Amino acid sequence: MRTRTLTVSLIAALTLAVPAVAGARALLIDGSTSVFPLMTQLAAAYHKATKEPTPKVGQGTSDVGVSDVAAGRVDIGDVSRNPEEGDPKGLTFTKIARDGVCMITNPKNPIGNLNQQTVQAIFTGDVREWSEVPGAKISGPIDLVDRIASSGTQAAFQDIFLGEALKISPSAEAEESNGLVQNKVKTDEDAIGFVSFAFTSGVNAVGYQGIPCTLQNAKSGQYQGVRNFWMVTKGAPKGAAAKFIEWVTSSKNASARKIINSEWIAIH
Amino acid sequence: MKSLLGGGAAAAERRAELALRALAMGVLVVIAGIAITVFTKAWPSFAHNGIAWFGSGGDVDTQFNAMINGSRDPAHYVYHFRAWPLIWGTLLTSGLAVIFGMVISILAAVFVVELAPAQVKRAIDPVIRLLAGVPSVVYGLIGILAIAPWVEHHLISNQRKRSVEYVVQLTGANLSVATLILTVMIVPIMVAIIASALESVPRTWTEGSAALGVNRWRTTWRVSLRTVRPAIVAAAVLATARALGEAIMLAMVAGSRGFAPNPLDGVTFFFEPVRPLAATIIHYIDDLSIVPVAQTLYAMAAVLLVSCALLSLAGWAAKQPMKRYGIRA
Repeated sequence: MRTRTLTVSLIAALTLAVPAVAGARALLIDGSTSVFPLMTQLAAAYHKATKEPTPKVGQGTSDVGVSDVAAGRVDIGDVSRNPEEGDPKGLTFTKIARDGVCMITNPKNPIGNLNQQTVQAIFTGDVREWSEVPGAKISGPIDLVDRIASSGTQAAFQDIFLGEALKISPSAEAEESNGLVQNKVKTDEDAIGFVSFAFTSGVNAVGYQGIPCTLQNAKSGQYQGVRNFWMVTKGAPKGAAAKFIEWVTSSKNASARKIINSEWIAIH
Repeated sequence: MKSLLGGGAAAAERRAELALRALAMGVLVVIAGIAITVFTKAWPSFAHNGIAWFGSGGDVDTQFNAMINGSRDPAHYVYHFRAWPLIWGTLLTSGLAVIFGMVISILAAVFVVELAPAQVKRAIDPVIRLLAGVPSVVYGLIGILAIAPWVEHHLISNQRKRSVEYVVQLTGANLSVATLILTVMIVPIMVAIIASALESVPRTWTEGSAALGVNRWRTTWRVSLRTVRPAIVAAAVLATARALGEAIMLAMVAGSRGFAPNPLDGVTFFFEPVRPLAATIIHYIDDLSIVPVAQTLYAMAAVLLVSCALLSLAGWAAKQPMKRYGIRA
Protein backbone atom coordinates (compact mmCIF):
# COMPACT_ATOMS: atom_id res chain seq x y z
CA MET A 1 0.00 0.00 0.00
CA ARG A 2 2.71 2.35 1.04
CA THR A 3 4.81 1.43 -1.99
CA ARG A 4 1.90 2.20 -4.27
CA THR A 5 1.39 5.66 -2.71
CA LEU A 6 5.05 6.30 -3.18
CA THR A 7 4.97 5.22 -6.84
CA VAL A 8 1.92 7.37 -7.53
CA SER A 9 3.43 10.43 -5.96
CA LEU A 10 6.69 9.81 -7.81
CA ILE A 11 4.88 9.64 -11.14
CA ALA A 12 2.93 12.78 -10.26
CA ALA A 13 6.14 14.58 -9.43
CA LEU A 14 7.72 13.43 -12.71
CA THR A 15 4.75 14.55 -14.83
CA LEU A 16 4.90 17.93 -13.15
CA ALA A 17 8.61 18.17 -13.67
CA VAL A 18 8.71 17.08 -17.32
CA PRO A 19 7.18 20.23 -18.85
CA ALA A 20 9.70 22.30 -16.92
CA VAL A 21 12.51 20.23 -18.40
CA ALA A 22 11.01 20.15 -21.88
CA GLY A 23 10.46 23.92 -21.81
CA ALA A 24 13.74 25.80 -22.09
CA ARG A 25 16.00 25.72 -19.03
CA ALA A 26 17.33 29.05 -17.87
CA LEU A 27 20.52 30.24 -19.55
CA LEU A 28 23.59 30.22 -17.30
CA ILE A 29 25.81 33.29 -17.43
CA ASP A 30 28.81 34.36 -15.38
CA GLY A 31 31.95 36.47 -15.57
CA SER A 32 32.85 40.11 -15.02
CA THR A 33 31.56 41.97 -11.96
CA SER A 34 31.50 45.11 -14.14
CA VAL A 35 28.98 43.57 -16.54
CA PHE A 36 26.92 42.03 -13.71
CA PRO A 37 24.66 45.05 -12.92
CA LEU A 38 23.82 45.47 -16.61
CA MET A 39 23.30 41.75 -17.21
CA THR A 40 20.90 41.25 -14.27
CA GLN A 41 18.70 44.11 -15.55
CA LEU A 42 18.79 42.76 -19.09
CA ALA A 43 17.97 39.23 -17.88
CA ALA A 44 14.91 40.43 -15.95
CA ALA A 45 13.66 42.54 -18.89
CA TYR A 46 14.27 39.63 -21.29
CA HIS A 47 12.04 37.37 -19.17
CA LYS A 48 9.33 40.05 -19.06
CA ALA A 49 9.42 40.68 -22.81
CA THR A 50 9.72 37.14 -24.15
CA LYS A 51 8.41 34.90 -21.32
CA GLU A 52 11.63 32.90 -21.65
CA PRO A 53 13.04 31.79 -18.28
CA THR A 54 15.16 34.50 -16.64
CA PRO A 55 18.84 33.82 -17.39
CA LYS A 56 20.80 33.09 -14.20
CA VAL A 57 23.66 35.57 -13.86
CA GLY A 58 26.65 34.86 -11.61
CA GLN A 59 29.80 36.86 -10.89
CA GLY A 60 33.50 36.08 -10.98
CA THR A 61 35.89 38.06 -13.12
CA SER A 62 36.30 38.40 -16.89
CA ASP A 63 38.84 35.56 -16.93
CA VAL A 64 36.36 33.36 -15.06
CA GLY A 65 33.71 34.14 -17.70
CA VAL A 66 36.12 33.17 -20.48
CA SER A 67 37.30 29.93 -18.89
CA ASP A 68 33.80 28.86 -17.74
CA VAL A 69 32.27 29.31 -21.18
CA ALA A 70 35.23 27.55 -22.82
CA ALA A 71 34.78 24.60 -20.43
CA GLY A 72 31.02 24.50 -21.07
CA ARG A 73 30.12 25.32 -17.46
CA VAL A 74 27.98 28.27 -18.58
CA ASP A 75 26.20 29.23 -21.82
CA ILE A 76 27.49 32.80 -21.98
CA GLY A 77 30.52 34.50 -20.37
CA ASP A 78 30.49 38.21 -19.50
CA VAL A 79 33.79 39.89 -20.33
CA SER A 80 34.73 43.52 -19.75
CA ARG A 81 38.06 43.57 -21.64
CA ASN A 82 38.94 42.98 -25.27
CA PRO A 83 39.82 39.46 -26.49
CA GLU A 84 43.39 38.50 -25.51
CA GLU A 85 45.98 36.24 -27.04
CA GLY A 86 45.88 33.83 -24.11
CA ASP A 87 42.13 33.19 -24.40
CA PRO A 88 41.09 29.64 -25.39
CA LYS A 89 40.55 29.09 -29.11
CA GLY A 90 37.10 28.88 -30.72
CA LEU A 91 35.28 31.52 -28.65
CA THR A 92 33.00 34.10 -30.24
CA PHE A 93 33.02 37.58 -28.68
CA THR A 94 29.86 39.63 -29.30
CA LYS A 95 30.08 43.30 -28.34
CA ILE A 96 27.00 44.33 -26.35
CA ALA A 97 27.78 47.74 -24.87
CA ARG A 98 30.48 50.23 -23.97
CA ASP A 99 31.33 51.28 -20.43
CA GLY A 100 33.17 54.15 -18.76
CA VAL A 101 36.03 53.30 -16.39
CA CYS A 102 36.30 55.99 -13.72
CA MET A 103 39.10 56.62 -11.28
CA ILE A 104 37.55 57.19 -7.86
CA THR A 105 38.67 58.94 -4.67
CA ASN A 106 37.10 59.48 -1.26
CA PRO A 107 34.47 62.29 -1.09
CA LYS A 108 36.83 64.10 1.36
CA ASN A 109 39.39 64.29 -1.46
CA PRO A 110 37.25 65.50 -4.39
CA ILE A 111 39.88 65.74 -7.12
CA GLY A 112 38.32 67.18 -10.26
CA ASN A 113 40.77 66.05 -12.88
CA LEU A 114 44.02 64.18 -13.47
CA ASN A 115 46.07 64.21 -16.65
CA GLN A 116 47.66 61.12 -18.15
CA GLN A 117 51.11 61.87 -16.77
CA THR A 118 49.83 62.22 -13.18
CA VAL A 119 47.68 59.09 -13.44
CA GLN A 120 50.67 57.11 -14.61
CA ALA A 121 52.90 58.55 -11.88
CA ILE A 122 50.32 57.70 -9.20
CA PHE A 123 49.50 54.16 -10.31
CA THR A 124 53.07 53.09 -11.03
CA GLY A 125 54.07 54.30 -7.56
CA ASP A 126 56.35 57.18 -8.63
CA VAL A 127 54.22 59.65 -6.71
CA ARG A 128 53.23 58.42 -3.26
CA GLU A 129 52.04 61.60 -1.55
CA TRP A 130 48.76 63.42 -2.17
CA SER A 131 50.59 66.72 -1.56
CA GLU A 132 52.48 66.13 -4.82
CA VAL A 133 49.27 65.59 -6.82
CA PRO A 134 47.86 68.77 -8.38
CA GLY A 135 44.23 69.27 -7.31
CA ALA A 136 44.35 66.98 -4.28
CA LYS A 137 42.44 68.32 -1.27
CA ILE A 138 44.28 66.28 1.35
CA SER A 139 47.89 65.53 2.16
CA GLY A 140 49.14 62.14 3.20
CA PRO A 141 50.38 58.94 1.62
CA ILE A 142 48.37 57.62 -1.32
CA ASP A 143 46.62 54.26 -0.82
CA LEU A 144 46.56 52.55 -4.22
CA VAL A 145 43.68 50.15 -4.82
CA ASP A 146 44.20 47.69 -7.66
CA ARG A 147 42.11 44.74 -8.91
CA ILE A 148 43.27 41.12 -9.04
CA ALA A 149 44.95 40.00 -12.27
CA SER A 150 41.94 38.15 -13.72
CA SER A 151 39.85 41.34 -13.66
CA GLY A 152 38.67 42.78 -16.98
CA THR A 153 38.48 46.27 -15.47
CA GLN A 154 42.16 46.02 -14.55
CA ALA A 155 43.05 44.92 -18.09
CA ALA A 156 41.02 47.81 -19.52
CA PHE A 157 42.52 50.35 -17.10
CA GLN A 158 45.98 49.09 -17.94
CA ASP A 159 45.30 49.43 -21.71
CA ILE A 160 43.61 52.83 -21.64
CA PHE A 161 45.37 54.73 -18.86
CA LEU A 162 48.84 53.18 -18.55
CA GLY A 163 49.65 51.59 -21.90
CA GLU A 164 51.77 48.54 -22.64
CA ALA A 165 55.00 49.50 -20.92
CA LEU A 166 53.82 50.62 -17.48
CA LYS A 167 52.63 48.35 -14.68
CA ILE A 168 50.54 49.16 -11.61
CA SER A 169 52.78 49.25 -8.53
CA PRO A 170 52.91 45.83 -6.86
CA SER A 171 52.56 47.47 -3.44
CA ALA A 172 48.92 48.31 -4.27
CA GLU A 173 46.28 46.27 -2.52
CA ALA A 174 44.30 44.09 -4.94
CA GLU A 175 40.53 43.73 -4.49
CA GLU A 176 38.40 40.92 -5.89
CA SER A 177 35.49 42.98 -7.27
CA ASN A 178 34.28 46.46 -8.27
CA GLY A 179 32.12 46.59 -5.15
CA LEU A 180 35.09 45.95 -2.85
CA VAL A 181 37.10 48.75 -4.51
CA GLN A 182 34.13 51.09 -4.09
CA ASN A 183 33.80 50.11 -0.41
CA LYS A 184 37.54 50.52 0.17
CA VAL A 185 37.65 54.02 -1.37
CA LYS A 186 34.48 55.02 0.49
CA THR A 187 36.03 54.16 3.86
CA ASP A 188 39.63 55.29 3.22
CA GLU A 189 40.31 59.01 2.72
CA ASP A 190 43.72 58.40 1.17
CA ALA A 191 42.62 55.82 -1.37
CA ILE A 192 42.40 55.96 -5.16
CA GLY A 193 41.10 53.14 -7.32
CA PHE A 194 39.27 52.49 -10.58
CA VAL A 195 35.82 51.00 -11.20
CA SER A 196 33.14 50.61 -13.82
CA PHE A 197 30.93 53.73 -14.08
CA ALA A 198 28.01 51.90 -12.39
CA PHE A 199 30.02 51.71 -9.13
CA THR A 200 30.68 55.43 -8.64
CA SER A 201 27.90 56.29 -6.17
CA GLY A 202 29.15 57.44 -2.76
CA VAL A 203 32.64 58.20 -4.07
CA ASN A 204 34.23 61.00 -6.11
CA ALA A 205 34.64 60.20 -9.82
CA VAL A 206 37.85 61.82 -11.11
CA GLY A 207 38.00 63.44 -14.55
CA TYR A 208 40.67 62.42 -17.04
CA GLN A 209 42.54 64.72 -19.44
CA GLY A 210 40.25 67.61 -18.51
CA ILE A 211 37.02 65.72 -19.16
CA PRO A 212 34.81 64.77 -16.16
CA CYS A 213 33.95 61.07 -15.92
CA THR A 214 30.23 61.29 -16.58
CA LEU A 215 27.93 59.11 -18.62
CA GLN A 216 27.24 62.01 -20.98
CA ASN A 217 30.93 62.62 -21.72
CA ALA A 218 31.51 58.90 -22.23
CA LYS A 219 28.59 58.73 -24.68
CA SER A 220 29.77 61.77 -26.63
CA GLY A 221 33.19 60.17 -26.95
CA GLN A 222 35.04 63.03 -25.22
CA TYR A 223 35.94 60.96 -22.14
CA GLN A 224 38.67 58.53 -23.19
CA GLY A 225 38.33 55.91 -20.47
CA VAL A 226 35.78 53.79 -22.32
CA ARG A 227 36.01 50.04 -22.90
CA ASN A 228 33.83 47.32 -24.43
CA PHE A 229 31.49 44.81 -22.79
CA TRP A 230 31.31 41.43 -24.51
CA MET A 231 29.13 38.33 -24.34
CA VAL A 232 31.25 35.30 -25.11
CA THR A 233 30.02 31.97 -26.43
CA LYS A 234 31.73 28.73 -27.39
CA GLY A 235 31.58 28.92 -31.18
CA ALA A 236 28.93 31.08 -32.83
CA PRO A 237 25.94 31.71 -30.53
CA LYS A 238 23.15 29.19 -31.06
CA GLY A 239 19.78 28.21 -29.59
CA ALA A 240 18.62 30.01 -26.47
CA ALA A 241 21.94 31.84 -26.10
CA ALA A 242 21.68 33.23 -29.64
CA LYS A 243 18.12 34.38 -28.94
CA PHE A 244 19.16 36.26 -25.79
CA ILE A 245 22.23 37.84 -27.43
CA GLU A 246 20.14 38.87 -30.45
CA TRP A 247 17.56 40.41 -28.09
CA VAL A 248 20.29 42.35 -26.25
CA THR A 249 22.11 43.63 -29.33
CA SER A 250 19.20 44.29 -31.70
CA SER A 251 19.09 47.96 -32.70
CA LYS A 252 15.29 47.73 -32.86
CA ASN A 253 14.91 46.60 -29.25
CA ALA A 254 13.95 49.78 -27.39
CA SER A 255 13.74 48.24 -23.91
CA ALA A 256 17.26 46.76 -24.03
CA ARG A 257 18.64 50.04 -25.43
CA LYS A 258 16.94 51.97 -22.62
CA ILE A 259 18.52 49.75 -19.95
CA ILE A 260 21.97 49.96 -21.55
CA ASN A 261 21.79 53.72 -21.95
CA SER A 262 20.78 54.22 -18.31
CA GLU A 263 24.35 53.72 -17.05
CA TRP A 264 26.27 52.39 -20.05
CA ILE A 265 26.59 53.19 -23.75
CA ALA A 266 24.62 51.30 -26.40
CA ILE A 267 26.67 50.27 -29.43
CA HIS A 268 24.21 51.49 -32.07
CA MET B 1 8.78 -18.01 16.78
CA LYS B 2 11.23 -16.93 19.41
CA SER B 3 14.25 -18.41 17.63
CA LEU B 4 13.10 -16.89 14.36
CA LEU B 5 13.02 -13.44 15.88
CA GLY B 6 16.39 -14.01 17.51
CA GLY B 7 17.89 -15.16 14.21
CA GLY B 8 16.43 -12.13 12.46
CA ALA B 9 17.85 -9.80 15.08
CA ALA B 10 21.28 -11.42 14.84
CA ALA B 11 21.25 -11.10 11.05
CA ALA B 12 20.16 -7.48 11.30
CA GLU B 13 22.95 -6.85 13.76
CA ARG B 14 25.46 -8.41 11.38
CA ARG B 15 24.13 -6.34 8.52
CA ALA B 16 24.37 -3.16 10.58
CA GLU B 17 27.91 -4.03 11.59
CA LEU B 18 28.90 -4.63 7.97
CA ALA B 19 27.29 -1.39 6.88
CA LEU B 20 29.12 0.58 9.57
CA ARG B 21 32.41 -1.07 8.65
CA ALA B 22 31.83 -0.22 4.99
CA LEU B 23 31.09 3.39 5.94
CA ALA B 24 34.25 3.63 8.03
CA MET B 25 36.31 2.17 5.19
CA GLY B 26 34.59 4.58 2.80
CA VAL B 27 35.76 7.53 4.87
CA LEU B 28 39.33 6.21 4.77
CA VAL B 29 39.11 5.78 0.98
CA VAL B 30 37.83 9.34 0.57
CA ILE B 31 40.66 10.74 2.72
CA ALA B 32 43.25 8.75 0.78
CA GLY B 33 41.66 9.97 -2.47
CA ILE B 34 41.87 13.59 -1.36
CA ALA B 35 45.52 13.23 -0.35
CA ILE B 36 46.47 11.50 -3.62
CA THR B 37 44.62 14.08 -5.77
CA VAL B 38 46.16 17.02 -3.96
CA PHE B 39 49.69 15.65 -4.13
CA THR B 40 49.58 14.60 -7.80
CA LYS B 41 48.13 17.98 -8.82
CA ALA B 42 50.68 19.79 -6.64
CA TRP B 43 53.70 17.87 -7.92
CA PRO B 44 54.67 20.04 -10.94
CA SER B 45 54.92 23.14 -8.74
CA PHE B 46 57.22 21.39 -6.24
CA ALA B 47 59.19 19.66 -9.00
CA HIS B 48 59.98 22.92 -10.83
CA ASN B 49 61.02 24.87 -7.76
CA GLY B 50 62.57 22.16 -5.63
CA ILE B 51 63.17 22.92 -1.96
CA ALA B 52 63.34 26.63 -2.87
CA TRP B 53 59.54 26.51 -3.10
CA PHE B 54 59.52 26.98 0.69
CA GLY B 55 62.16 29.71 0.59
CA SER B 56 61.91 33.46 0.17
CA GLY B 57 62.73 35.60 -2.85
CA GLY B 58 60.69 38.08 -4.80
CA ASP B 59 57.05 38.98 -4.42
CA VAL B 60 54.44 36.18 -4.46
CA ASP B 61 51.80 38.31 -6.15
CA THR B 62 54.23 39.26 -8.94
CA GLN B 63 55.02 35.56 -9.33
CA PHE B 64 51.30 34.70 -9.56
CA ASN B 65 50.79 37.45 -12.14
CA ALA B 66 53.64 36.00 -14.20
CA MET B 67 51.83 32.65 -14.18
CA ILE B 68 48.51 34.28 -15.11
CA ASN B 69 50.00 36.32 -17.95
CA GLY B 70 52.41 33.54 -18.94
CA SER B 71 52.20 31.03 -21.75
CA ARG B 72 49.20 28.69 -22.07
CA ASP B 73 51.42 26.15 -23.80
CA PRO B 74 52.24 23.25 -21.43
CA ALA B 75 55.84 23.23 -22.65
CA HIS B 76 56.32 26.85 -21.52
CA TYR B 77 54.31 27.06 -18.29
CA VAL B 78 55.70 29.52 -15.76
CA TYR B 79 56.14 27.88 -12.35
CA HIS B 80 58.61 30.12 -10.49
CA PHE B 81 57.30 30.44 -6.95
CA ARG B 82 58.73 31.24 -3.51
CA ALA B 83 56.11 30.65 -0.84
CA TRP B 84 57.93 31.94 2.26
CA PRO B 85 55.86 35.15 2.73
CA LEU B 86 52.69 33.07 2.77
CA ILE B 87 54.13 30.41 5.08
CA TRP B 88 55.47 33.13 7.39
CA GLY B 89 52.02 34.75 7.33
CA THR B 90 50.40 31.45 8.29
CA LEU B 91 52.87 30.90 11.14
CA LEU B 92 52.41 34.46 12.40
CA THR B 93 48.61 34.61 12.38
CA SER B 94 48.08 31.09 13.74
CA GLY B 95 50.95 31.25 16.23
CA LEU B 96 50.05 34.65 17.70
CA ALA B 97 46.34 33.83 17.84
CA VAL B 98 46.97 30.51 19.60
CA ILE B 99 49.38 32.07 22.12
CA PHE B 100 46.99 34.91 23.01
CA GLY B 101 44.02 32.55 22.84
CA MET B 102 45.70 30.10 25.19
CA VAL B 103 46.21 32.66 27.95
CA ILE B 104 42.72 34.09 27.61
CA SER B 105 40.96 30.74 27.42
CA ILE B 106 42.79 29.18 30.40
CA LEU B 107 41.88 32.18 32.56
CA ALA B 108 38.32 32.19 31.22
CA ALA B 109 37.90 28.45 31.83
CA VAL B 110 39.20 28.78 35.40
CA PHE B 111 36.73 31.61 35.97
CA VAL B 112 33.80 29.68 34.53
CA VAL B 113 34.50 26.49 36.48
CA GLU B 114 36.01 27.65 39.78
CA LEU B 115 34.88 31.19 40.43
CA ALA B 116 31.69 32.10 38.57
CA PRO B 117 28.43 32.07 40.56
CA ALA B 118 25.92 29.47 39.35
CA GLN B 119 23.71 31.97 37.52
CA VAL B 120 26.61 33.55 35.64
CA LYS B 121 27.84 30.08 34.68
CA ARG B 122 24.40 29.16 33.39
CA ALA B 123 24.44 32.27 31.19
CA ILE B 124 28.04 31.89 29.98
CA ASP B 125 27.86 28.24 28.92
CA PRO B 126 25.39 28.66 26.02
CA VAL B 127 27.08 31.89 24.94
CA ILE B 128 30.43 30.11 24.59
CA ARG B 129 28.83 27.31 22.60
CA LEU B 130 27.07 29.85 20.37
CA LEU B 131 30.29 31.79 19.75
CA ALA B 132 32.13 28.59 18.85
CA GLY B 133 29.58 27.99 16.11
CA VAL B 134 29.53 31.42 14.43
CA PRO B 135 30.55 31.04 10.75
CA SER B 136 33.89 32.67 10.03
CA VAL B 137 32.49 34.79 7.20
CA VAL B 138 30.48 36.71 9.82
CA TYR B 139 33.69 37.52 11.69
CA GLY B 140 35.22 38.54 8.35
CA LEU B 141 32.39 40.97 7.60
CA ILE B 142 32.63 42.57 11.04
CA GLY B 143 36.38 42.85 10.49
CA ILE B 144 36.26 44.44 7.05
CA LEU B 145 33.32 46.78 7.69
CA ALA B 146 33.99 47.86 11.28
CA ILE B 147 37.38 46.95 12.72
CA ALA B 148 39.68 47.49 9.72
CA PRO B 149 38.45 51.05 8.92
CA TRP B 150 38.67 51.95 12.62
CA VAL B 151 42.24 50.67 12.91
CA GLU B 152 43.18 52.52 9.74
CA HIS B 153 41.75 55.83 10.97
CA HIS B 154 42.89 55.73 14.56
CA LEU B 155 45.98 53.57 14.87
CA ILE B 156 47.95 54.03 11.65
CA SER B 157 49.51 57.47 11.39
CA ASN B 158 50.73 59.04 8.16
CA GLN B 159 54.30 58.95 9.50
CA ARG B 160 53.99 55.23 9.98
CA LYS B 161 52.63 54.82 6.46
CA ARG B 162 55.46 56.93 5.02
CA SER B 163 58.12 55.00 6.92
CA VAL B 164 57.48 51.90 4.78
CA GLU B 165 55.69 53.31 1.73
CA TYR B 166 58.37 52.18 -0.71
CA VAL B 167 58.06 48.62 0.56
CA VAL B 168 54.42 48.13 1.35
CA GLN B 169 51.18 50.03 1.76
CA LEU B 170 49.68 50.01 5.28
CA THR B 171 45.89 49.74 5.55
CA GLY B 172 43.34 48.61 8.10
CA ALA B 173 43.52 45.04 6.84
CA ASN B 174 46.71 43.86 8.53
CA LEU B 175 48.43 41.43 10.87
CA SER B 176 47.02 42.90 14.10
CA VAL B 177 43.40 42.85 12.91
CA ALA B 178 43.78 39.34 11.50
CA THR B 179 45.31 38.06 14.75
CA LEU B 180 42.69 39.80 16.87
CA ILE B 181 39.73 38.30 15.01
CA LEU B 182 41.39 34.89 14.73
CA THR B 183 41.91 34.92 18.51
CA VAL B 184 38.26 35.77 19.09
CA MET B 185 37.32 32.92 16.74
CA ILE B 186 39.36 30.19 18.43
CA VAL B 187 38.92 31.17 22.10
CA PRO B 188 35.37 29.78 22.56
CA ILE B 189 36.31 26.28 21.42
CA MET B 190 39.39 26.29 23.68
CA VAL B 191 37.39 27.53 26.67
CA ALA B 192 34.79 24.82 26.10
CA ILE B 193 37.40 22.02 26.02
CA ILE B 194 39.45 23.26 29.00
CA ALA B 195 36.35 24.03 31.09
CA SER B 196 34.85 20.59 30.60
CA ALA B 197 38.19 19.02 31.58
CA LEU B 198 38.42 21.21 34.71
CA GLU B 199 34.94 20.08 35.68
CA SER B 200 35.98 16.45 35.57
CA VAL B 201 38.93 16.89 37.95
CA PRO B 202 38.06 14.65 40.94
CA ARG B 203 36.68 16.76 43.75
CA THR B 204 38.72 14.79 46.31
CA TRP B 205 41.97 16.06 44.78
CA THR B 206 41.13 19.72 45.14
CA GLU B 207 39.54 19.13 48.53
CA GLY B 208 42.63 17.29 49.64
CA SER B 209 44.76 20.22 48.60
CA ALA B 210 42.45 22.67 50.38
CA ALA B 211 42.54 20.49 53.52
CA LEU B 212 46.32 20.87 53.59
CA GLY B 213 45.80 24.61 53.86
CA VAL B 214 46.66 25.50 50.27
CA ASN B 215 44.70 28.54 49.13
CA ARG B 216 42.20 28.47 46.27
CA TRP B 217 44.40 30.05 43.60
CA ARG B 218 47.33 27.72 44.30
CA THR B 219 45.00 24.72 44.32
CA THR B 220 43.63 25.68 40.93
CA TRP B 221 47.10 26.39 39.56
CA ARG B 222 48.98 23.39 41.01
CA VAL B 223 46.25 20.72 41.11
CA SER B 224 43.43 21.42 38.64
CA LEU B 225 45.38 22.96 35.76
CA ARG B 226 48.19 20.45 36.15
CA THR B 227 45.67 17.62 35.90
CA VAL B 228 44.06 18.95 32.74
CA ARG B 229 47.30 19.54 30.81
CA PRO B 230 46.38 16.93 28.18
CA ALA B 231 43.10 18.78 27.60
CA ILE B 232 45.00 22.05 27.21
CA VAL B 233 47.24 20.42 24.59
CA ALA B 234 44.16 19.04 22.81
CA ALA B 235 42.56 22.49 22.84
CA ALA B 236 45.73 24.05 21.43
CA VAL B 237 45.92 21.46 18.65
CA LEU B 238 42.27 21.92 17.67
CA ALA B 239 42.60 25.71 17.77
CA THR B 240 45.80 25.66 15.69
CA ALA B 241 44.13 23.42 13.12
CA ARG B 242 41.22 25.83 12.87
CA ALA B 243 43.55 28.82 12.62
CA LEU B 244 45.71 27.14 9.93
CA GLY B 245 42.73 26.30 7.77
CA GLU B 246 40.86 29.57 8.26
CA ALA B 247 40.54 31.06 4.80
CA ILE B 248 37.52 33.29 4.22
CA MET B 249 37.88 35.51 7.27
CA LEU B 250 41.63 35.96 6.71
CA ALA B 251 41.16 36.61 3.00
CA MET B 252 38.80 39.43 3.99
CA VAL B 253 40.74 41.15 6.78
CA ALA B 254 44.38 40.13 6.51
CA GLY B 255 45.15 42.44 3.64
CA SER B 256 45.18 41.51 -0.01
CA ARG B 257 48.95 41.46 -0.35
CA GLY B 258 51.20 38.43 -0.01
CA PHE B 259 53.69 40.33 2.12
CA ALA B 260 56.00 38.97 4.82
CA PRO B 261 55.79 41.34 7.83
CA ASN B 262 59.23 42.22 9.14
CA PRO B 263 59.66 42.11 12.96
CA LEU B 264 62.59 44.55 12.62
CA ASP B 265 60.08 47.27 11.72
CA GLY B 266 59.07 47.53 15.39
CA VAL B 267 55.45 48.46 16.07
CA THR B 268 54.84 48.92 12.33
CA PHE B 269 55.29 45.14 12.05
CA PHE B 270 51.81 44.65 13.53
CA PHE B 271 50.24 46.94 10.91
CA GLU B 272 51.83 45.28 7.89
CA PRO B 273 49.59 43.26 5.58
CA VAL B 274 49.85 39.50 5.66
CA ARG B 275 48.17 36.72 3.71
CA PRO B 276 48.32 33.12 4.97
CA LEU B 277 48.28 30.08 2.67
CA ALA B 278 44.58 29.27 3.00
CA ALA B 279 43.56 32.87 2.33
CA THR B 280 45.84 32.95 -0.73
CA ILE B 281 43.99 29.96 -2.18
CA ILE B 282 40.76 31.99 -1.90
CA HIS B 283 42.44 35.09 -3.36
CA TYR B 284 43.50 33.33 -6.57
CA ILE B 285 40.49 31.01 -6.87
CA ASP B 286 39.29 32.95 -9.95
CA ASP B 287 42.41 31.87 -11.85
CA LEU B 288 41.95 28.15 -11.17
CA SER B 289 41.49 27.53 -14.90
CA ILE B 290 45.11 28.54 -15.50
CA VAL B 291 47.03 25.30 -15.04
CA PRO B 292 50.23 26.54 -13.29
CA VAL B 293 48.19 28.69 -10.89
CA ALA B 294 45.97 25.72 -10.03
CA GLN B 295 49.01 23.50 -9.46
CA THR B 296 50.64 26.10 -7.22
CA LEU B 297 47.40 26.43 -5.21
CA TYR B 298 47.30 22.63 -4.88
CA ALA B 299 50.88 22.74 -3.62
CA MET B 300 49.78 25.16 -0.90
CA ALA B 301 46.88 22.85 -0.05
CA ALA B 302 49.36 19.98 0.23
CA VAL B 303 51.46 21.99 2.69
CA LEU B 304 48.35 22.68 4.77
CA LEU B 305 47.35 18.99 4.70
CA VAL B 306 50.78 17.85 5.86
CA SER B 307 50.95 20.49 8.61
CA CYS B 308 47.56 19.46 9.96
CA ALA B 309 48.62 15.80 10.00
CA LEU B 310 51.92 16.67 11.74
CA LEU B 311 50.01 18.84 14.19
CA SER B 312 47.71 16.07 15.38
CA LEU B 313 50.72 13.76 15.60
CA ALA B 314 52.60 16.30 17.72
CA GLY B 315 49.54 16.79 19.91
CA TRP B 316 49.31 13.05 20.45
CA ALA B 317 53.00 12.80 21.29
CA ALA B 318 52.85 15.73 23.70
CA LYS B 319 49.96 14.16 25.56
CA GLN B 320 51.65 10.79 26.17
CA PRO B 321 53.85 11.67 29.17
CA MET B 322 51.07 13.74 30.75
CA LYS B 323 48.47 11.03 30.54
CA ARG B 324 49.51 9.14 33.65
CA TYR B 325 47.92 11.43 36.24
CA GLY B 326 45.90 13.54 33.92
CA ILE B 327 42.36 13.63 32.69
CA ARG B 328 42.21 12.18 29.23
CA ALA B 329 40.99 14.41 26.45
